[in-house]
Amino acid sequence: MKTDDLIGLLATGAGPAPRALAARRIAPTLVLGWLCSAALAIGVIGLVPRDLFAAPAWWAKFAYAAALALAAAWLVGRLGRPAARTRGAWTALAMVVLLMAAIALVQLAGGAAAQRPALWLGHSWKTCPFTVLLLSLPALALALWALRGMAPTNPRRAGLAAGLLAGGVGAAGYALSCTEVSMAFVATWYTLGIAATGALGALLGPRLLRW
Amino acid sequence: MSDDAIHDAFESGLKPLWMRAQAGDEVAYRAALERIAARLRRFFGRRMQALPDDVEDLVQETLLALHLQRGTYDATLPVSAWVHAIARHKLVDLFRRRGRREALHEPLEDLDELLHPTSVDAQPARRDLAVLIDTLTPAQQQAIVLTRIEGLSMAEASARTGVSVAALKVQVHRGLKRLAEMVKDGQP
Repeated sequence: MKTDDLIGLLATGAGPAPRALAARRIAPTLVLGWLCSAALAIGVIGLVPRDLFAAPAWWAKFAYAAALALAAAWLVGRLGRPAARTRGAWTALAMVVLLMAAIALVQLAGGAAAQRPALWLGHSWKTCPFTVLLLSLPALALALWALRGMAPTNPRRAGLAAGLLAGGVGAAGYALSCTEVSMAFVATWYTLGIAATGALGALLGPRLLRW
Repeated sequence: MSDDAIHDAFESGLKPLWMRAQAGDEVAYRAALERIAARLRRFFGRRMQALPDDVEDLVQETLLALHLQRGTYDATLPVSAWVHAIARHKLVDLFRRRGRREALHEPLEDLDELLHPTSVDAQPARRDLAVLIDTLTPAQQQAIVLTRIEGLSMAEASARTGVSVAALKVQVHRGLKRLAEMVKDGQP
């Protein structure tokens, strides 16, 4: 077939380009991914005591995970578009992590030296990153599906962003089951679980995001 | 004319056509794709001097990809930047498939040289898309042939086949995606 014929095939009846393509894929990823991780967390581990929701610490933890997921979602939307600029999204992502780290350091500095290990390690530091990673897997599958509908020209980086998005979503689900209230704990072990999910995404990206 | 001026002329000619095409103007879309095809032919021709027979195939593969991914175009960007990002992606992918790793060391970032106005005629692609279309499912074939080759509107095609407009659109999209996959995998 001649290229002119192909152009005719593509242009005839083409209609308008799909609108808000990234949003139509990423929004369901965030919502469905969070519902999956929340259901798993509540079903397998159980919901935290109700009075914990009255404490600012719970909301700070949830806000951190959600803000990180949103910043990563922005990044996914940029990396899914050829030639789009990504600096703003990377900056937003870094700001979220740095802000949380600053809050954690202030809290650690304000506590007595003897309390610091407890503030940092809590009672579940050994399991927290793995739990976050496991609870992030549904969102990771959804985020990679979202990117497969777009055009990522750097599949490794796009996979990383999808993993960070999924990690944030999984952590926001895990918050429902996690009784830790220290910001230093969240800033370290949640972040580690999210980073592990990001690394898994970066491994999967080159395999799954080819087009 | 300087390279910048040539580039600006390409972009300023393409952008209005492209924006109308994105809004659903088929005539503008066809004109935009023709300009882009000529551009791609130069782009790939310069970079695939060892694979001249593959140039037109890659032009077609890239046009299919551009069409399937047109929803990822960001109107704040130059159209040419978006087209080039996709063209580079397709070129690197071809080299990877061919195992010509040394070709990756060619300066892919340097776009200037391809702006030189060399005239390159379209060679026939070696692959015959008509043959590929025959391998699609009957529903995909029917939808593509009626709305894309015979040029019926979705409503006319729906009336003729009894298939809903929504289902026809899905079949066209799936069929084009399948075509893009087959083109990429080098079948047949």
